[in-house]
Amino acid sequence: MADIHITNILDETPLASLSKGELGSIRAHTANCADCARAFAAAQLSALVIKARASEAGADALNANPFFQTRVLATWREQRESGWSLGRLWKTTGALVSSMVVTTAALAALTFISPAEESTLTPTAVASTSAESVMFDPGEDEITNEQALNAIYYDEEDAR
Amino acid sequence: MARLARDEDESACAEIVRRFSPRVFHVAHRFFRDRGHAEEAAQETFLKAFAQIRSFAGRGSMEGWLTRIATNTCLNLLRSASRRPELVTSDLSEDETTWLERVSNSVGAQSPDAEQRVIAANLAERVLETLSPEDRLALIMIDGEGASVNDVAEITGWSESKVKVRAFRARKKAREILEKLW
Repeated sequence: MADIHITNILDETPLASLSKGELGSIRAHTANCADCARAFAAAQLSALVIKARASEAGADALNANPFFQTRVLATWREQRESGWSLGRLWKTTGALVSSMVVTTAALAALTFISPAEESTLTPTAVASTSAESVMFDPGEDEITNEQALNAIYYDEEDAR
Repeated sequence: MARLARDEDESACAEIVRRFSPRVFHVAHRFFRDRGHAEEAAQETFLKAFAQIRSFAGRGSMEGWLTRIATNTCLNLLRSASRRPELVTSDLSEDETTWLERVSNSVGAQSPDAEQRVIAANLAERVLETLSPEDRLALIMIDGEGASVNDVAEITGWSESKVKVRAFRARKKAREILEKLW
């Protein structure tokens, strides 16, 4: 029996589940193979310690803390109460919070989404009343110098 | 009892804890040797169960349902710890080394006494700590408790093939570690 076959058997099946025939073959092989003998001994040791650990777990389970039940129920009660108090808080203040949220959303929409109106006081309107425009830009009602001179001398010639 | 627990009847919940604590603790102790950690896992199991009691439709036993919750809770707790140190000979205590030398010459010859069983369990725990939580569970249940592949599959929701692969991997690693320790 090849080494790898021995270890495969040892690893595939719990030792306690090996048949008498399989165990016999293993013992026959390990009598002539030091490596497999070592592997078989390690597998037996592994089974022994794992059983000891499992047995300990079973025994420990029966020695639970007598206050465990009290602790669990107290924690559960706390969790329920904190859930309830949040619920009650929402019931009493929910309408107020909701209306505040809606109002804030409406204001934000009016500010950012609606187009902004143009201001009536534009820079050009301000500039039209500046000193320079009064001095250098002739208004529609103002007459030119030529018109003024014609008006003066035309009247004098008419008068002669 | 489940119906009363759904209505948050405290006495029903207390009865669930009283009746199923041994079972839940047994599951927790498969994963945790430390009593405090086992209690923490057991408490978390019951709190989850009370929170999910409405999903317990009554198909199957409550014990089976709680066992599944406890197993998943412990697996999650161990996964989040995620520390899996390698075990070397220098990590062993003197008692463990002495016991190994003695027992290696006569494995299976006689049953260990109480003190030897404690040393054996210590050594087992060191070996199990090097395995993934899932592989550890498969090895403890199948090799330690004599559970069937189907038993493990039912509790964990794994396929039978997956259970066999995990058990194979765990057994191989445990054997190789112990071989190196001699």
